[in-house]
Amino acid sequence: MSALNFSDGIFLVDFEFHPARGREGNPPIPVCIVVREWPSGRTWHYWQDDLQQMTVAPFPTGKKALFVAYYASAEMDSFHVLGWAPPANVLDLFTEFRCLTNGLRLAHGSGLLGALMHYGLPSIGSEQKDAMRDLILTGGPWSFAEQLAILDYCETDVAALANLLTAMEDQIDWPRALLRGRYMKAVSRVQINGVPLDVAALGKLQANWNAIQDQLIAEIDSDYGVYDGRTFKANRWEDYLVANDIPWPRLESGRLDMCAATFREMARTYIEVAPIRELRSALSEMRLANLHVGDDERNRCLLSPFRARTGRNQPSNSKFIFGPSVWLRGLIRPKPGWGLAYVDWSQQEFGIAAALSGDPAMMAAYRSGDPYLAFAIQAGAVPKTATKKTHEAEREQFKACVLAVQYGMGEASLAARINQPVARARQLLELHRRTYRKFWKWSDSAVDEAVLGGRLWAGFGWQIHTRDEINDRSLRNFPMQANGAEMLRIACILLTEAGIRVCAPVHDALLIEAPLDELDQAIATTKSLMQEASRIVLDGFELGSDVKEVRYPDRYMDKRGVVMWNKVMNLIGGPALT
Amino acid sequence: MQNPTTSKESATINSVGIDLKLLRLPADYGATLGVKKLLTNVSVGKPKKPQFFRTHASDEMTFPAMILENKEVRESYVVVPEVAQEISELVRRAMLHAAIDRQNNVFLIPVPLPGEDGTRNPWHESLAQAVEHAKLQWIRITANMHVGGYDIYEAQGTLPDPEWPAHDIDALVEVAFRGKIITNLDHPVVQSLLGEI
Repeated sequence: MSALNFSDGIFLVDFEFHPARGREGNPPIPVCIVVREWPSGRTWHYWQDDLQQMTVAPFPTGKKALFVAYYASAEMDSFHVLGWAPPANVLDLFTEFRCLTNGLRLAHGSGLLGALMHYGLPSIGSEQKDAMRDLILTGGPWSFAEQLAILDYCETDVAALANLLTAMEDQIDWPRALLRGRYMKAVSRVQINGVPLDVAALGKLQANWNAIQDQLIAEIDSDYGVYDGRTFKANRWEDYLVANDIPWPRLESGRLDMCAATFREMARTYIEVAPIRELRSALSEMRLANLHVGDDERNRCLLSPFRARTGRNQPSNSKFIFGPSVWLRGLIRPKPGWGLAYVDWSQQEFGIAAALSGDPAMMAAYRSGDPYLAFAIQAGAVPKTATKKTHEAEREQFKACVLAVQYGMGEASLAARINQPVARARQLLELHRRTYRKFWKWSDSAVDEAVLGGRLWAGFGWQIHTRDEINDRSLRNFPMQANGAEMLRIACILLTEAGIRVCAPVHDALLIEAPLDELDQAIATTKSLMQEASRIVLDGFELGSDVKEVRYPDRYMDKRGVVMWNKVMNLIGGPALT
Repeated sequence: MQNPTTSKESATINSVGIDLKLLRLPADYGATLGVKKLLTNVSVGKPKKPQFFRTHASDEMTFPAMILENKEVRESYVVVPEVAQEISELVRRAMLHAAIDRQNNVFLIPVPLPGEDGTRNPWHESLAQAVEHAKLQWIRITANMHVGGYDIYEAQGTLPDPEWPAHDIDALVEVAFRGKIITNLDHPVVQSLLGEI
């Protein structure tokens, strides 16, 4: 293994830990660590008493050493809690296993046991693993025998790592694997930081939620008459639609399409649908009890990096504050003396598509600052002197068309979205194809590559195997999503390493925080590093960003959730937003 | 695509202090697969009423031919000269012009050539003018029965020039008339038109 040039050694590491005071949302308390040098097999065990005495990791972690773990962000959390400097080089066999097998059907999942079984390697049974985890999660104290059992269990994971590294070694794309490991360090910094919440408002919501549900239904449903108790009645909804002349999408069976995405789409076109859509969303997605909030009033949960097929993070919708209905984001509030900033790339997917396809018209449209209006001008639909103000209606249609292409919508869906005849939607889509020919050629090539070559990849090696499932829409969308994920990862790395306190990554955005007197500088640094991340991923093409800042005592809010937030706060006497 | 690095030797760099741009893989999907669109369909005829089109400006993208039209099924055939002499009343001399619409569909427009006296009927003359006009502008044409010719409508927008496929006129004619070249009098279409069967 000397060829890897990690002259200070390769160390396979596993921590056992439990959340402080048994509360999910608190940082972990390390219980023990087992370290095995590879390939020599020399092994060290340290119990928590030993760990507390150490100011640095008990093995080399500098530039000439390699740290190997499975799901390394968890190990990095323990490093942070112990005050140890993180390792310079991290190889996470979880991220590599996900990358190597993404898109394939895995019989046993992508956990450590699943990976071992995938390679035909021995492992302990899942029942034994669950039993030991339960023992650790009790938080102790543990008898001497239990301590030995926990250390033995921890060592089985390290032994498994050794087998796994041997099996995977030659398949690993090393330089990019180390970049993914570097991201797992950033993830840990973000997880440990967490999102500051208004716990008082959350407490009021939790205490009153049962009563609130009925009150909300009574208040909102008075305009619709579609609820029976807490049950949404489809036949009554159909009556409402007929009475109000709203054409609603139907399934092949003829029944109304009642999925959340349809309600979301229709609410954009028919404003009168919005309140009932918010109510349905609030009732179905509100699981406040599951939100992980630490003793320090911060939302912390696993960000689940690389879980999505696109390589994006996939945190639990019920544990992560950005998961449930958008109005609950009003719970996000900076601590006294602090501010927050939500910084997102402007039209990220359009920019990525333009840059990767090399379509000059599309790149020009992005650089104009208003790609939707630029598209309308390029297509010859509005004069060159048109502005957002003079041609708002046309701009909205061309915007809808751009988004439709990104989502893979057909002409019928686009027509419904813009409330225009199908012929108009067809014309818009045709204009997109004509205006951005090079993009479409590239997009067609992506599908060819997926179908014939069996896989697609993003700029820094995240890939998907495409033989098991051919879906034209998702294949075309993959390069934008996967490269968006690469961009976010690189931005997280750059920001956390620059000392910016990142609270959460949210799709194409980052939530950061800083003391009020440092907030402006932190925002400037964040914007600059997000631009740099875009240049790195897009071969020099730069994406801009938009900022929404919140200074204590204000709270964060997504504009889509203001009405609902105020409605609920009105019911419980909580803080309203203006 | 650049192959991901799997060799241990190349992992001599560590994860910090490296230029991330050096790790970027190009999004050149399909580059090594050699997928290209084949020219499989070339229709023959006048453009449809709502169809904006352009014609190729080069004389090299025209093809003189003896054309036999079976109007019942709206099919056109190319007749070799030896056979054309025998059924001159059924065929006519035409110039095939390469044309393309806004959806990048390539087709051939047959423009009947003047007769031996140098004249041709007003419809054909009008079509010839439209084809000339379409060498420089996107147009569509509609028949005007009152004047006995085609009205020409020019697109007013600033439309990009067409992207012509990299095929010469022989290739277009070959695709357009695949299975529709009459080389002898026994051809069923000829027999049918002569009332022999």
